[in-house]
Amino acid sequence: MIELEDVNKVFRLPHQKKTTLRQRFVSVFRKSTYEKLYALRDVSLKVKEGEFLGIIGKNGSGKSTLLKLIAKVLEPTSGRIAVNGNVAPFLELGVGFQGDLTVKDNIYLYGALLGMSRQEIEQKYDWIIDFSGLERFVDAKLKNLSSGMQVRLGFSITVGVESSILLVDEVLAVGDIDFQEKCYESFKSFKKNGRTILFVSHDLTAVEQFCDRVVLLGNGQIKNIGLAPSISDIYKQETATQKQSIKQSKE
Amino acid sequence: MLLYTATSKQRNLLGRRNYLYLTLVMAITDFKIKYDNSALGYLWSLLKPLLMFGTLYLVFSVFVRWDVENYKIYLLLGIILWNFLAEVTLNSMVLLEGKASILKKVYFPRWIIVIASSLTSLLTLLLNMVVFFILFILSGVHFRTSVILLAVYLAELYILVVGLALLLCALYPKFRDIHHIWEVFVQLGFWVTPIIYPITIVPEKYHKLIFLNPVARIIQGSRDAVIGSGGDFLCLKNHIIIIAAAVCLFVVGWFTYNKMSRSFAEDL
Repeated sequence: MIELEDVNKVFRLPHQKKTTLRQRFVSVFRKSTYEKLYALRDVSLKVKEGEFLGIIGKNGSGKSTLLKLIAKVLEPTSGRIAVNGNVAPFLELGVGFQGDLTVKDNIYLYGALLGMSRQEIEQKYDWIIDFSGLERFVDAKLKNLSSGMQVRLGFSITVGVESSILLVDEVLAVGDIDFQEKCYESFKSFKKNGRTILFVSHDLTAVEQFCDRVVLLGNGQIKNIGLAPSISDIYKQETATQKQSIKQSKE
Repeated sequence: MLLYTATSKQRNLLGRRNYLYLTLVMAITDFKIKYDNSALGYLWSLLKPLLMFGTLYLVFSVFVRWDVENYKIYLLLGIILWNFLAEVTLNSMVLLEGKASILKKVYFPRWIIVIASSLTSLLTLLLNMVVFFILFILSGVHFRTSVILLAVYLAELYILVVGLALLLCALYPKFRDIHHIWEVFVQLGFWVTPIIYPITIVPEKYHKLIFLNPVARIIQGSRDAVIGSGGDFLCLKNHIIIIAAAVCLFVVGWFTYNKMSRSFAEDL
């Protein structure tokens, strides 16, 4: 179960970052100016166990920030977040891999980062390799793999953790069709096993196909929340009217 | 139930296990990356202090002569211990940038980064000590039972150095000058600590000043333990001063680090 209560996240974007001593001395007497970016505003949300929740919205609407807060990578500026269960995050197209290590070493490192024990990783190792389809490259350095392959590996490990909550941010955009199909298959089995999934995507067909509920974010606020088809229709209409109004203003 | 709010502090150490395993994997990873693509690999970590020792030994036993018994042993031990301090503290700051991609994508207790890297350096220190003891036996210096106390000094040094590393690492993302400042400090410290010269050449009135530095006490104490270089640094009072300093630094480092590390993902 995931519960968010009045969560705010504000990023301070300084107009000029002061990280050296001289800049600091100069700026001590001046008030530092920064742009306040409200990435999330008063977001309250409840996700039930076993729910498949889609999150859609434009770039910069706060989708990734929301997932990062739930993954504890970021801290909320204010508000309360409660997460019941262990979380496996897959954020922003890829994971924290070490390019100089082999695929095998990276599986062990990343598995440990996600909270797995040595035995658990050993048990899951063959499955992960098989799912990622990287049998041939087990001993290759990760940096020599294509970006698509890296994402595949990352996703395979994340899925292999068997966490009760999975956060997925835009994974399907990079994988090839074969891998996308594999992902869809695994999504189906997640649903069966009652795992909670938060799924950020611009692929509305996938969202409609898998998600029980969908959250539409805009400017850091929840604009709409409800069943998948209706919300994605609202989103489509919204973008369509915007396009029209842009056209009209150009004319 | 894992529960945290923006204000509550009880957000780590709950809900996740296997931190020990993660620390070990990270230490091994650091080790592998560090010596990747170099022909001599790990040998470098043993060669570096030895080469430094060779250079300094040449200068200070051939060109200049100190009146120190067993100068070889005296010098080598000082260099090994100081190198450990320099390596861990300077590494701790570079570390975060290498780990930025991980920090931005997964949550795990951030202290693991610093502890893991300190373990890698600790392994180097212990292997250096093996080389040291081989030379020690070869040089035919009288063996004392007080050598056991060296382990105590190493433990004290480790706590102190990790505390320093946590503190420096915590400040680094918001205040990057600290890396340059600390580099100069390490240089300065090398010369104001009796590492290459005997304390006897320093005028008496400065002794108190020099031994304000707990690392000077640790180095002097370890020498007393191994070769009995005449000082009175084996006494309990010395240990108490060192441990007090080490624990203070560690506590300050730990809390600063845990506070600052909450925004690492944004600052890096």
